[in-house]
Amino acid sequence: MGEDKIIRLLRLGDNATFQKIYIENRRPFIKYAKKFNVDENEAADIYQDSIIALRENAIEGKLNNLESNISTYLFAIAKNKIYRFHREKSKLSFDEDLTLNEKNIEIDVDLFGKKLTNEQEVLRTWFPKLGERCKEVLNLYYYQGFNLDEITQILNYSSKQVLKSQKSRCVKKLKELCRKKI
Amino acid sequence: MKNLDLIDKYFSNTLSPQEQMVFNDYIQNNEEFKSEFLFQKDLKEVITSNQREDLKKTLQGFEKDLQWKSRVFNLPKKWLIAASICLFLGLGFWYVKGNFFPSDKQLFVTNFHPYRNIVEPIERDSPKQTIKYKAFLAYENENYYKAINLFNSIKNQNDSFISFYKAMCYLSLDKPTEAIGLLLPIATSKKDNGTFKNFHELSNWYLGLAYLKNNEKHKAISQFSIIANLPENTCMKEEAEKILKFLN
Repeated sequence: MGEDKIIRLLRLGDNATFQKIYIENRRPFIKYAKKFNVDENEAADIYQDSIIALRENAIEGKLNNLESNISTYLFAIAKNKIYRFHREKSKLSFDEDLTLNEKNIEIDVDLFGKKLTNEQEVLRTWFPKLGERCKEVLNLYYYQGFNLDEITQILNYSSKQVLKSQKSRCVKKLKELCRKKI
Repeated sequence: MKNLDLIDKYFSNTLSPQEQMVFNDYIQNNEEFKSEFLFQKDLKEVITSNQREDLKKTLQGFEKDLQWKSRVFNLPKKWLIAASICLFLGLGFWYVKGNFFPSDKQLFVTNFHPYRNIVEPIERDSPKQTIKYKAFLAYENENYYKAINLFNSIKNQNDSFISFYKAMCYLSLDKPTEAIGLLLPIATSKKDNGTFKNFHELSNWYLGLAYLKNNEKHKAISQFSIIANLPENTCMKEEAEKILKFLN
């Protein structure tokens, strides 16, 4: 499978692709992490976050025109996370400079550290109450980085205009739900 | 609201420098626009957070599967050897049990053969057109459903052979309950004084087998005991004694 196709599947959230990537690179990564005294469970946790970061890099277009393959890129992200983890854990200065072959690698992806505001918490409560179609459209648009033309194709809408109205209706509906709650 | 396209362009990173200036101006001076933009920005944050959590859960699931598999494949060798021995002994036990201590089902399969047609000789060259002949022809051809229908169509239903051969059909079709219902009256009636005396004893034998098939072990034992206690030494008597040994 070509890298472009894999990148698209990562953006679309294809589970089989995630599983394949997860299994293929896990063992070498856990072995690498052991050098830094990171145990298997901690290493697996870091490795999972690295795959999430890989997906977000794919969404942001950082994997387009990639010179190396996706596994190398994933490994670079994971290595960075290990260095950071080790540095924080040991509280020692880390002499080894990061030597990365890839540009644009997100070193400081703080995936779960950010706290949601009150408004966001309300949104988070009501978002699951939307219909499946709405959730799909909004996920593709706001997270998976597809533009309206692409979503029209992915979800087989008759035209971009129809999709646009659908999207507006979904946002409006969500606003109403949140207002009721407040 | 006008200029919603500007918000769309913001989220798809396609604002031109001029549009960016208009966008900034709206944010500062148009409350409605600002509030719409902030709502969508919050929505993006929430969806991002949800998607990350969902993917994390999926990946944790993969990890769990892998760890479980690796635990199974990394069992100490002595455990695997012990498991192999258990499996070997287990299989051996089933082999021995099957041969020396057959189950009721096995006993039925070994001992049941539909009784041969002793009523109506089938002559292929000059077939008769009677219902009785057709019934036995179907019976010999193992076409048991057809045979049952034909036996039911025979006018004089009092002949015990009809119930007996219908019971043979039902047993062959794995329907022991129906067979028991037909065999019981013949087996319990006083000796058949008609043309076919044998059906009384035969019915006892087949009734025993029908009980076996129907998982009614105790009734099967009493049936075979009746045959084993017959005064004459018959082949059926010997077989009944053998079956009783297994059942007891």
